[in-house]
Amino acid sequence: METQEARDLAEAAVSKALKAGASYAEARVQATWEREFGLKNGEPQPSIFVEGYGIGIRVIAGGALGFAATNAMQRASVGEVAVKAVKLAKASRSMLRRPVVFDSAKPARTNWAAPETKKIENADSAWLRRVLVDIDGRVADGRAGVKLPGRLFYLSAELQERYFVNSDGARVAGRVPRVSFGGSLTAVEAGSAAQRFVQQGETGGLEVVKRIGLVERVVEEAKAMGKVLKASAKPPTETIDVVLSPELSGIAAHESVGHPQEADRVLGREGAQAGESYLTADSLGRKIGSHEANVSDDPTLLHSNGYVPVDDEGVAAKKRLLIKGGVINEFLQNRATAGKFGVNSNGSARAVSFDREPIIRMANTFVEPGDYTTDEIFKEVKHGVYFKSFTEWNIDDKRLNQRYVALEAYLIDRGELKGLVRSPVLEITTPKLWGSVKARSRHVEFEAATCGKGDPMQGAPVWTGGPETLLTGIRLGAR
Amino acid sequence: MDLDELNRLAVRAAEALKVDDAVALSARTADSMVRFADNSATVANRVDEAELTVYLAKAGRRAIASTSNLSQAAVEGFVKDLHASMKGLPQGEYAPLPDGAAKYSQSGRFDRKVADAEEKLPELAKAAIDSSLAAGGKRSAGAISAWKATVAILTTSGTRGSDSRTAITLNIRSFGEGDASGHGLSCSSTLRGFDPVEAGRRAGEGAKRMRQAAEPDAGKYEVLLSPAVASNLTETVAGAASAFSVDAGTSYLAGKLGKKVAAPPFDLTDHGVVDGGLGGRAFDDEGSPTRATKIIEGGVLRGYLHNLTTAKKWKAETTGSAGLIAPHPWNLEVGAGDSSYEEMVKEMKKGIVLTSNWYTRFNNYRTGEFSTVPRDGAYLVEDGEIVRSLKGLRAGDDQLRLFSSVRLLSKEREWVQWWEVDTPTLCPWILVDGVSITRAYD
Repeated sequence: METQEARDLAEAAVSKALKAGASYAEARVQATWEREFGLKNGEPQPSIFVEGYGIGIRVIAGGALGFAATNAMQRASVGEVAVKAVKLAKASRSMLRRPVVFDSAKPARTNWAAPETKKIENADSAWLRRVLVDIDGRVADGRAGVKLPGRLFYLSAELQERYFVNSDGARVAGRVPRVSFGGSLTAVEAGSAAQRFVQQGETGGLEVVKRIGLVERVVEEAKAMGKVLKASAKPPTETIDVVLSPELSGIAAHESVGHPQEADRVLGREGAQAGESYLTADSLGRKIGSHEANVSDDPTLLHSNGYVPVDDEGVAAKKRLLIKGGVINEFLQNRATAGKFGVNSNGSARAVSFDREPIIRMANTFVEPGDYTTDEIFKEVKHGVYFKSFTEWNIDDKRLNQRYVALEAYLIDRGELKGLVRSPVLEITTPKLWGSVKARSRHVEFEAATCGKGDPMQGAPVWTGGPETLLTGIRLGAR
Repeated sequence: MDLDELNRLAVRAAEALKVDDAVALSARTADSMVRFADNSATVANRVDEAELTVYLAKAGRRAIASTSNLSQAAVEGFVKDLHASMKGLPQGEYAPLPDGAAKYSQSGRFDRKVADAEEKLPELAKAAIDSSLAAGGKRSAGAISAWKATVAILTTSGTRGSDSRTAITLNIRSFGEGDASGHGLSCSSTLRGFDPVEAGRRAGEGAKRMRQAAEPDAGKYEVLLSPAVASNLTETVAGAASAFSVDAGTSYLAGKLGKKVAAPPFDLTDHGVVDGGLGGRAFDDEGSPTRATKIIEGGVLRGYLHNLTTAKKWKAETTGSAGLIAPHPWNLEVGAGDSSYEEMVKEMKKGIVLTSNWYTRFNNYRTGEFSTVPRDGAYLVEDGEIVRSLKGLRAGDDQLRLFSSVRLLSKEREWVQWWEVDTPTLCPWILVDGVSITRAYD
């Protein structure tokens, strides 16, 4: 991205919008560069390039919010789009009952970049292919101990650059390189089939592949498929203890803590799409879990998939303690919701591309570590089930009724992992889940994920994670 | 630069590099949207974009790229970079573009009134909100969107075409007392076919009707799927019918060609262009003319969706469904039945009516096992009568069993496209036997 051109266009857009009658204006020039390669059952798929460059302009005019975007990056076109944003906002006043009022968050003035050692721009199709061929070569033809007739792998290297300016004084340049892997593994043996979708990734350059041990992780996933196919024991029907792995702790934290604590959902803004929340604006301070339930979202974790030290409203982001000691402690806020709550934004606004408005997003949501070792967590369990990985999951639109179906799961008998259990189902309410947390290990892991929200849809890269989390007094279902 | 000029520039640049095949597909879109919540506007959006997608093939290697940086120098450099990216790669799956230029008929689905509807959107949204309030809804949230697109294609085999279309959609959800909520949709390619007042009325009535909802007992039920719910599940069948999904091991329809995969009343067709269809165009991403493709007829799987590459592998013909990587549907149509909604409810002994759903997720695409979460109005039916509103339930099944258990379809069908249904689908109410219903452990 040509930085000076981006700055000039963004500054001109804000100026034009203010002259057209906006009381607030912001402009974000954003460039996307992506290289991707795929292998399907070992067969090379087409090389993929994506290059995007454009500007999104958001304004408040007459108390209403307007957003307009274009990739026609000539000064005159950008000026027209800025005026269009103001006109749109003014036109929507006929159905405006509650004016938008932003908080008084301190505008950031900084340049930031996610750390990278090997420049992401050096990723080419040959490099991407080599990584995938390495993976495929280790799992094809039964080399991981199981037949995998369905193998679909994609690896991408992406760079997002942005320049943000607003009429409150924020000036922020950001650079985020990211490496992402996505794949599906389908194992078939003796008429039985198992399937696993694997997503891995974090911010950084080409070094990410080795740093996260990508090849080895996928091979381990493939090996686990062989075990899963052999699972035949039904889950216990009586009340038991359940140990959630970091992967399960993470998805539960994301779905039933992060989402319902997005302030825009709490206020109803996503009501017709991703839904509302079981929480209301006066739920802060409400006891929702045991003292051991502690869940946070932290956009400042270096290398994380959701690394966003300054958000897309020009506000410095910080760690958010969502549930602290079982109590609803904090919502994810942008400047508009913070204005309603009478607080300042905690830097949760993100837009995935120039043509999307910034909305409240999680970054890296996780169950906080506890003080047990992993072994001590298992030793606490006389009779239970360990959910190591999951496949199917979903949750209602108030984030109260959720379901996680384990792929790899084990019986726990007097502190020891025993045989595999076939497809145990944890279908549980949010208060019951977080009220059942008895202990957490010190060991934390993260998984890459893509979080969907907004209309038009925005898929945001995030991490989900946590320690081994012990739940007590749980009843399971079976698929 | 207009779209034809952009395509010529890209194809000329590709030809200079002596590629075997090149396709330039350029698009100009304008999307206007007004979103609202709690009966008040939350944001008005307008996105104008132009994009160029280029496909190159040389010596059995393929590359695909899209860019929104459309200056002449940028496009020429982009095509060169794309060409260079294929060096050193092995040959992969490849089928050449067919010889000779394909011809298309104009699709005629462009309504100037929709294209110019931007200024009317707040008024139309307000009409929907007012209609919901009048019907009993307390507060409404939603999005109204008017969309226009022109797509032009040029290939090295001489195929050239252009297709323009419009769509206007409304998704409104209204909330009442407690957990009560209702859902309404209106989806049309023309302004004349768009009815925000009716969508608002349905959402409002749903919010009023859903009172004192309770969780059902877990078990097997007859389930009556609204067009919105049925479209969401049908879209997963069309995804499984993509030959790419079959090859990748992510389709329950693998090995089922010519076999029974649904009950006899169930027909599923994909149309490139169809009257009233919100999606699709006259040509696919490889320049093949799109057409009507029978996926399931009389409950039997008639064929997969193909592009040139998958068709070559399967020794079949392209169905005009490219997707340069994966074939996909354009506009789905589920065949109509001969029942009315009221007759279908009367047919149910112990059943549940579902009006909306979300978060359909698969345990295994190869086996088709999934679950989905109903939302808004859900109603318990006993001996042909609705007796209670339901909440806190989940439906789980596998695709083969569910569609093989279709008992009745309604005469009336509706176009559906919204947040949970990407592919526009013309769909009836569908009555299915033996669906598993579960509830959360508290």
